[in-house]
Amino acid sequence: MQIEPILRSLSSLQFVQPRRRPGVTTGERRSPRRGRSVEFADYRDYTPGDDPRRVDWNIYARLERPYIKLYEDEEDLTVHVLLDASPSMQWREENAPSSPKWERASQLAVAMCYITLISGDRLVIETSSRARYGPKRGVAATSGVIEFIERETLPAEIADGRVSPNRVTQSTNLNNWWKRYALDARPGLCIVISDFLDPDGYADGLNALGSSRLDLNVLHTLSPAELDPEFAGDLRLRDIETSATQDISLDDAALNQYRQRLTQWTGELSEFCRRRGGKYHLTDTGEAVEKIVLRDLRHAGWIA
Amino acid sequence: MNILNPIALVAALLAIPIVLLYLLRLQRREQTVSSTLLWRQVILDREANTLWQRLRRNLLLLLQLLTLAFLVFALTRPYLNLPSTLSGRIVVLLDGSASMRATDVSPTRFDAAKAEVRKLIDELGPNNEMSLILVDGSPRALASATTNKSELNAALDVAQPSLAAANWSAGVALAAAAAGSNSTDNAATTLILSDGVNADDLQLLTGNARFIPIGVSGDNISISNLSLRKTNRGLAAFVRVTNTGSQDDRVLVSVHSENVLLDARTLNIPAGQSVSWTVNGIDPLTAWVRASIDQANHNALPVDDVAYVVNAKDATRRALLLTPGNQFLEQALAVLPNLQVTRAITPSEQVDGKPYDLYVLDGLSMTLPARANVLFIGAQSIFTTSGSFSNTAFVRAEQHPVLESVDWRPVNTSEVRRVNTPAWLKPVIEGQGGRLLFAGEMTGENAPFGRVVLIPFELRRSDLPLQVAFPILIANTIEWLAPPQGLNIPASVRPGDVVALPRDAIVQLPDGNRVAVDQRGFAQTDQLGVYKVQFKDVNSTFAVVFSNPAESKITPNPNLQVGGVTPSSEVKPQYSQREMWGWLAVVALLLLMAEWWIYQRGLPVLRRKKL
Repeated sequence: MQIEPILRSLSSLQFVQPRRRPGVTTGERRSPRRGRSVEFADYRDYTPGDDPRRVDWNIYARLERPYIKLYEDEEDLTVHVLLDASPSMQWREENAPSSPKWERASQLAVAMCYITLISGDRLVIETSSRARYGPKRGVAATSGVIEFIERETLPAEIADGRVSPNRVTQSTNLNNWWKRYALDARPGLCIVISDFLDPDGYADGLNALGSSRLDLNVLHTLSPAELDPEFAGDLRLRDIETSATQDISLDDAALNQYRQRLTQWTGELSEFCRRRGGKYHLTDTGEAVEKIVLRDLRHAGWIA
Repeated sequence: MNILNPIALVAALLAIPIVLLYLLRLQRREQTVSSTLLWRQVILDREANTLWQRLRRNLLLLLQLLTLAFLVFALTRPYLNLPSTLSGRIVVLLDGSASMRATDVSPTRFDAAKAEVRKLIDELGPNNEMSLILVDGSPRALASATTNKSELNAALDVAQPSLAAANWSAGVALAAAAAGSNSTDNAATTLILSDGVNADDLQLLTGNARFIPIGVSGDNISISNLSLRKTNRGLAAFVRVTNTGSQDDRVLVSVHSENVLLDARTLNIPAGQSVSWTVNGIDPLTAWVRASIDQANHNALPVDDVAYVVNAKDATRRALLLTPGNQFLEQALAVLPNLQVTRAITPSEQVDGKPYDLYVLDGLSMTLPARANVLFIGAQSIFTTSGSFSNTAFVRAEQHPVLESVDWRPVNTSEVRRVNTPAWLKPVIEGQGGRLLFAGEMTGENAPFGRVVLIPFELRRSDLPLQVAFPILIANTIEWLAPPQGLNIPASVRPGDVVALPRDAIVQLPDGNRVAVDQRGFAQTDQLGVYKVQFKDVNSTFAVVFSNPAESKITPNPNLQVGGVTPSSEVKPQYSQREMWGWLAVVALLLLMAEWWIYQRGLPVLRRKKL
C-alpha cells in the first residue's frame, strides 16, 4: 500500500467536530465535561463501561458505592474507523494483481487513522470481519495500522470470484456489525468506510451508530465500474458475495436506468446521514487519494 | 398442387444450423460483479421490457425458419394445374390485312388482336411451344416454335398490319408447316385471330383450330373510285363514295387539287350503297387530285378514306390510222405501248377535231393539218410518181433511227413505185431498182409536214409484213415520228407493288424523302399518296392508291368456318401448369426484411467497451 508518501502531507490536519463531545481521557480539546486534571471538579455515579481505574476507591470505601472523579480537563477524541473489508470491497478482475477499490479504501482508512493519531486522538479501527486494532494513540501506531489492514486483504481467488467466500466469516452484514459495534463504542467520531452493497441494507446499523454518542461520517466508496458500468450485451451477472446470478441484457436504456437507481440510492444514504447530523461523502475510488483527502474531504468540512 | 422438383426438400436440412446458431446465441457471458444489489433493482424496473426481449428472441428464430421454409418450397418448383386455353404446341395466325386497321375496336382491330395474343403468351406453360405467323399479303413467321415468352412478346411488338389483303392460303400452308405432325397425343392447336373479312381460304385449315373473332362493326365509308376525265371545261374528277356499313351516314367529302381545296360536299349515303360526285373545272395542268372523307359518323377504316389520282401527261400518243384494212399493220400498231390508235376507213371519218400526234395513211389520203407526222404507205396523192420497178433486192441501208435493228435483206417486194420525193425526204433503203424507203423531216413552223416516213409500195405486194423486220420497223417509225413524252409508268399502283423505273431516277415519296432507284426497280410503295419521279429532265408522277373494295368491306365474320367444323365459342377446359416459385420467393424476401427490422429495433448498445 503506497500511503507513506502522502502521510507527511496529512500531518497538520485535524478532524472537524460539529459539537463538543464528552471524551474519556486527557486530550487537547476543551471539554464541556469535567475530566481529570489538576483541578478537582466533581463526582459522578459510576456507570458500567467506565474505566474502573477512575473510580475513586476512597469514596467507595466510605460510601460503598462507586463514584468517578471528575476533573476540569481538556477533552480527547476517540475516532472509530469502521472499514468494510468484505469481498465486494475487494473485488478485482481475474488475474489482476490487486483490487483498485480495496487499495483506495485501505489508503483512505490509513489516512483517517493517521490524522487521528497525529492529532493525539484515540484510534480504534475495526473491519467487517470483526478484527479490531486499538485503542491506540500516537503516530507510532501507524505502521501497526498498515499491517493490520494488509492482513485483512482477501486472497486473490476469493477476490475475483473464483472461490466463494466463507459465508460466516467473510460475507458482509453491515447491520449486525454496526449494531454490535455501537453497543460498546465510546463516544466520539465514527468514520464508516464502506460501499454499502449489502442486500440486507444499512439502516438499522447506521441508526445504531448514529446514536447520540457517535458522530457519523460516512465515506461511501464506490469503484468507477460501479459508478458508471461499461459492460454491455447479454450478460449473466454473478454476485461475488452471495453467488446469486442476475441475467440482464444491457443496452443504453438499461444503463440509464442503473445510473438513475444509483443516484437514488446514494441520495437516500446521504439524506439518512444528514438527518442524523452526520456527514456523507461519495468517493470514487478511481481518483487519487491526495485529491480525495486534501481537497474533497477538506472542502466537505471533514478535516481542517 | 404438385411439385416439379421434390429433391429440393433436402435443403430443408439447412434449418438445423439455423437452430443451432440460435441456441448458441442464447449463451450469456458470465460477469462477476461486486454486488448485484443495484442490478436487481434495475431488472425489476424493466420487468415489462424483459418480456419483449424474450419474445423478440423467439420471433427472430421463427422468422428465420419461415424464410427458409418458403425458399425451400420455392426450390421445389410447385405448380398448380390451372384451367387454361392452351396446351401442347400452339400456332397463332394473326390477320395482318388492311381491314384489321379498322378502329371499331379501340385502338385498332390489330392492336386488340395483339392484346389477345399477349394474353395467350402469358398463359403459356413451361412446356408449350408457340409459333406466331403474321398473315398479310406475304405471310411470314414472326416466331417459330419457341417457349421463350420475351422472344414472343418482342416479335409481337414489331408486327404491323399491312395495306393489302391477307393471303390466307399461304398463311394456312405456313401454319400447317409450323404445326408439324398431327398425332393425337401431341396435336397442335391453331388459333386464328382475324376479323374474318376475305378469309374464305381459311377453310383449308385442318386439325384442331380455333377462331378468335376480332372486330364488332362493319361500318365503313370508303372512296371506292377516283378518276379524272378530260372535258372541254378542263378536267373533271369523278368521285364515288361507298358506305359498306349497316347504317346510313352523312359524309363530308372534299376534293383537292395539289393541296388546294377545290370543293367539299356533304353526301347522304344509305347503308350498303354508293354515291357519286363529279367536280368540274379542274385546271388541266394540275399534277394530281386528291379526294378525302373528312367527316363521317360510321367510318372505322381510315386507310380507304383518301384517294389520289394523277393527271398523267399524255405519254400516250394518238395516232390516226387510215386504212382499208390491213391486219398486219393494225397488229403492229396495237402492240405499241402508249399509242392510242384511232382507225378510220374513209377519209371523211374524222374523230375529234384535234390534231393527232401522227397519221398512218395506208393507201388513202386525207387533209392533214400543218406539221403532221405521217407514215405514208403505198399510194398517196402528195407526191408524184414516175413509174415503178420490181428489182427490189436490198442494196444499201442508211443509218437512221427508223432502221435500228431492222434487217431488210429478206424482204421481197413485187412492185415499188418510183416516187418523186422532195429534197427533204431522203431515201434510207436502196434496192437494186430504186429506193425502197424514205424518211425525212421538214423544218419551219408552217411546214405542211413534221416528220414523214414513206413506204412507196403497198404492203399487200410485199412480204415485209411477214418479216421480223416489219414490227421493228413500225415501232421505230412510230417512235421517230412522235417521240413519247414522259416515262413509261402506270398512273396508279397498289401499295407494295414494284414500279419499273429506269435506273438512277430520283423518286420523292409522299413524306418528302427522296430515294434513288437501283436496277431492281422501285419498291418503296408502302405509303399512300403521290410520288414524283425525276429522270434526266423528264418529270412524272404516279400515285399509290389503296383502292381495295374487298378490304373496305370490313364487316367482321365471327362465325367463320375453320377446318371444316364451325368452332364453338366455349372452350373445353384444358389444364396447363402454372409455376408458383416466384410468389414464394417474394414472401421469403418480405420475411427476411421483417426479421432484419425486428433485429435492428432491439439491438443492444455495442459502442461501449465490453468487460
